[in-house]
Amino acid sequence: MSVGGLLVAVLQQVIDGVFLGLFYAIVASGLALIFGVMDIINFAHGDLVMISAYFVWLISTYLNIDPLLSMLLVLPVLFVLGLAIQKGLINPVLGKEPLIQIAVTVGLGFVLQNIALGYFKAEPRGYPNPVFSEGLSIGPFVIYESKLLSAAVSVLVLFLLDQFLSRTRLGLAMRAVTDDRSSAMLMGINVERVYLLTFAIGMVLVGVASGLWMEMGQVWPYLGTSFSLVSWVAVALAGLGSIRGLAVSAVIIGIAESMGSLISPSVKMAVVYLIFFFILWFKPRGFFAKR
Amino acid sequence: MTRSTLLSIALFQAALLAVGFLVSGNNYYMLLLTQVALFAAFVAAWNIIGGLTGQLDLASSAYMALGGIVTSLLWMRLGLPPVVGVWVGGAVAAGLAVLIGIPTFRFGVREVWYALMTASLVVILNNLFRYFMGPWDFYLPNKWGWLYLRPRTYFELFIIVDVVLLAVILVNIYISGSKIGYYLRNIKEDELVSEAVGVDTRLYKLIALAIYSFITGAAGFLQVVIYSSFSYRLFDAGLAISIAIMGIIGGLGSISGAIAAAVVFRALGEYLRSTLGGVIPGLDLLLYGVALIVVGILKPEGLAGLFNQLRRWWRK
Amino acid sequence: MASKPSRTPLIIAIVVIVAIVAAALGYYIYTSKPAATPSPSPTPTKVKIEKVVIGVVQPLTGPYAIFGREAVDAARLVVDIINNELGGVRSLGGAKLDIVVEDAGTSPESARLAAEKLISQYHVPIIYGAYISRFTMAMGTVTEQNKVILVTDALVDDLANQGWMYFFRVAPRASAHGVSAVDFVMDMAKKYNVTIRTAVIINEDSVFGTTVSNGAHLQLVKYGVEVSSHITYPYDITDMSPIIDQIKRLNPDIIIAVPYFSDGVLFAKTAKAAGLNPKFIAGAGACGFTDPDSIKAAGDAVLYYTNTYSYNPAKPTEWNSKLVSEFMRRYGKMPTEAAGEVFYSFFTIYEALEKAGQMFPDDPLNPDHLRQAFLSLDLNESNSIAAQLYPTGRIKFAPNGENLYAGTAVLQVQLINGTLTPVVVWPQPQEGVQPVFPRPGS
Repeated sequence: MSVGGLLVAVLQQVIDGVFLGLFYAIVASGLALIFGVMDIINFAHGDLVMISAYFVWLISTYLNIDPLLSMLLVLPVLFVLGLAIQKGLINPVLGKEPLIQIAVTVGLGFVLQNIALGYFKAEPRGYPNPVFSEGLSIGPFVIYESKLLSAAVSVLVLFLLDQFLSRTRLGLAMRAVTDDRSSAMLMGINVERVYLLTFAIGMVLVGVASGLWMEMGQVWPYLGTSFSLVSWVAVALAGLGSIRGLAVSAVIIGIAESMGSLISPSVKMAVVYLIFFFILWFKPRGFFAKR
Repeated sequence: MTRSTLLSIALFQAALLAVGFLVSGNNYYMLLLTQVALFAAFVAAWNIIGGLTGQLDLASSAYMALGGIVTSLLWMRLGLPPVVGVWVGGAVAAGLAVLIGIPTFRFGVREVWYALMTASLVVILNNLFRYFMGPWDFYLPNKWGWLYLRPRTYFELFIIVDVVLLAVILVNIYISGSKIGYYLRNIKEDELVSEAVGVDTRLYKLIALAIYSFITGAAGFLQVVIYSSFSYRLFDAGLAISIAIMGIIGGLGSISGAIAAAVVFRALGEYLRSTLGGVIPGLDLLLYGVALIVVGILKPEGLAGLFNQLRRWWRK
Repeated sequence: MASKPSRTPLIIAIVVIVAIVAAALGYYIYTSKPAATPSPSPTPTKVKIEKVVIGVVQPLTGPYAIFGREAVDAARLVVDIINNELGGVRSLGGAKLDIVVEDAGTSPESARLAAEKLISQYHVPIIYGAYISRFTMAMGTVTEQNKVILVTDALVDDLANQGWMYFFRVAPRASAHGVSAVDFVMDMAKKYNVTIRTAVIINEDSVFGTTVSNGAHLQLVKYGVEVSSHITYPYDITDMSPIIDQIKRLNPDIIIAVPYFSDGVLFAKTAKAAGLNPKFIAGAGACGFTDPDSIKAAGDAVLYYTNTYSYNPAKPTEWNSKLVSEFMRRYGKMPTEAAGEVFYSFFTIYEALEKAGQMFPDDPLNPDHLRQAFLSLDLNESNSIAAQLYPTGRIKFAPNGENLYAGTAVLQVQLINGTLTPVVVWPQPQEGVQPVFPRPGS
């Protein structure tokens, strides 16, 4: 391969990686929010994305509309589901040992996976003709509409989230709880209510991620495992409390993964996790932590 | 070690052996019993790092696979019989664990980050072995006998596994009664405080990690014997999580609880797989998940708490 | 707790260990005596066999459940047809067939348990399964030891090289799929006068995917085609674009792809979006691209893709049409690979049982008699139902249990009356169908 060819190859992988990373950012945002505010260790995050993607698929095929539209219909459902999960499962284990939280959320993950397996069967489900399914050729590069779109939506939603957290009463309350739980309580913040809404909003973010995913790919019962660990790595890299930091970290992961596939797609995740190792060793609070 | 612990160990052993003899005529139950006992041994080994020290280690299957593969390769490539090879396998696993443990504890990686780090260790090793071994399954040579820890009958295999299980239990009890155990419990209660009063937390965590990974690595070969082949898929993140979960459900730090959880859940899982797996796919795993949630929410102190309750009730 | 470690624990521990070892030795000596009773009693002569139970071990949970579930559906159908329409196994006095289904679970460990259970609880003479090669490997050690016939639908080549005596595989082995895919493409290239110089192979990185793709690779080299890259990826990949972009830069004449399932859909969609349009894209290994669910999920992204099949659902024989329509009536979908393998494997088992009944009327279910019955089969479309269901129309076993006449069919996704339909285009195109080659607009 010539030098120019190599350059094109690397640049193309970087472009792919940036888009992938921005998508990971929206996937991880729900986890980051929930973990940051509530300090709950959620190992079922990927499985929640999976279940939500099935909702999107159901509506899309039933009404024959694009996944992006059905996503809008799914969001309220997820909000309510978030309230229910928080009330029923998460609240009882708040503040418990991390191991217990892991056990409960892993249990939730198992339940979701196998409900999906029993109800939707193991076949991957996808919407065959999403609106954004073409590619744009710019010089020697290819840009995928669906990935461009997911990146754009992701940036928009993260921007809104950032504004929400810094401008609204509820958002400020959430941040106060993130920073210092007990003083937030002393300041008269209804922590219980903040938790409830945090989880519900986290689920809405999950819904957005799943809608974007269905525009690009399909859902199957074990889809979640692919997203869970990566989301955690993004959160580790970013540290708590910064949405911008999360986006940058997720992009780094996306590029690492994309470059890893130049070596061999079979081992690309090893590259991502090795980065994770070094981050934890040398920058245990992440790059963008505010506390 | 008190008289009553010894008595319960002896009783447990007697019961296990009695069950072994009872089902020795039926290969299915014999294999199941062996698998249950081996699983219990892994959970009991995990108890050293997870239960006694309070570190959420999710890399159990990494050490298991590493030890198992090293032992198998030593046998197949260099002719070193596994009865010797397992010690090397265990040492290699412990070596890797310590190598990673030193910076990890040095830089204070703990709680959820320690859990995620160990979980990703499984994925990294999985990918690396995938890269160097290829996707292939490697089959153990067609040789049988005690020398290879690969006897012809399941009963003999069960005896080997049982010896391992017993050894792990004794190690657990020995550690928890020793000075190290005292420090480990301190670390589990509050790491920062124990550091402040001058406990070398890094050293003791490292010791716990080394013992746990050595046992897991050495016993890993028995898992390979049951599979009768090995591949990079032995680095199984799901298995590592379920081993840790058994330790949690058992009630952290309680060796009897951990073993009880391993026995109950492994046997229940098999019962559900064999009765319902063919009828309603996934129902067994679904119930397994429900059990986790119920135990986690309603009985966070795990089966050990249940035992204590029963004991109190008995004494009334 | 004693402040000074007491010595009692150590002593008791040693005592317990000694006791265990003694028990073990006692048991060992006890069992190493010649067995007093012969294992599962050979059926006494002239006892009427009411039914023959066949064990079915399939992955019903986990990522391969898709195939296992379809196989079990198909097995139930075939057994019903044999019992109700053919009157059971006639040479065994009309004995009915029955199946016991076991979930292979998600590890070799559980597959092995499943086999042990079938043998010790149900005393099955024949086990069918377990789709995944390493599960089948774990089962094979058990079936060999217990002398139980193992008819497998796991395709990895290695299984037939274990020196197993009681092992049979009707379905075409993995490398044959890769070879067929290449043979098909080169055959078409010659017919339609298309030059093919370079190829890219991509496969999911399981043992199966790798074996299939290696078969294709060797075959391409044999035809003198340059393989510019051979890419592997994990089956649960979520982003195909880096791979597609790589392939696009290489600009090969053809692509041979060995997908698992969802990755196939992802590949097709991403390739379409990227405008990747080589002269031909041929799948190998039967998963993805051309099955009904992939078509449903991928839409016209998979138009003109082909894949090799261990089974030809459009084969125009009487029994094949019958089974396909019965399957569709009962389950509401076309039978694919997994069901097809069950169709002909179960009818082969049925015909072997008939044969065993004729050859050894006194003890037909004896494992060695069954084995001889399997080996004596020589089936073709005029003398057997199984052969009518098989792509090549012939079944005869080599001593290692492999079908000597193994072969695959090639299906292509075409637009027929406005719907995307998988049609058979090779070795003989089905009625009213022509292969589309090369890809239009390439």
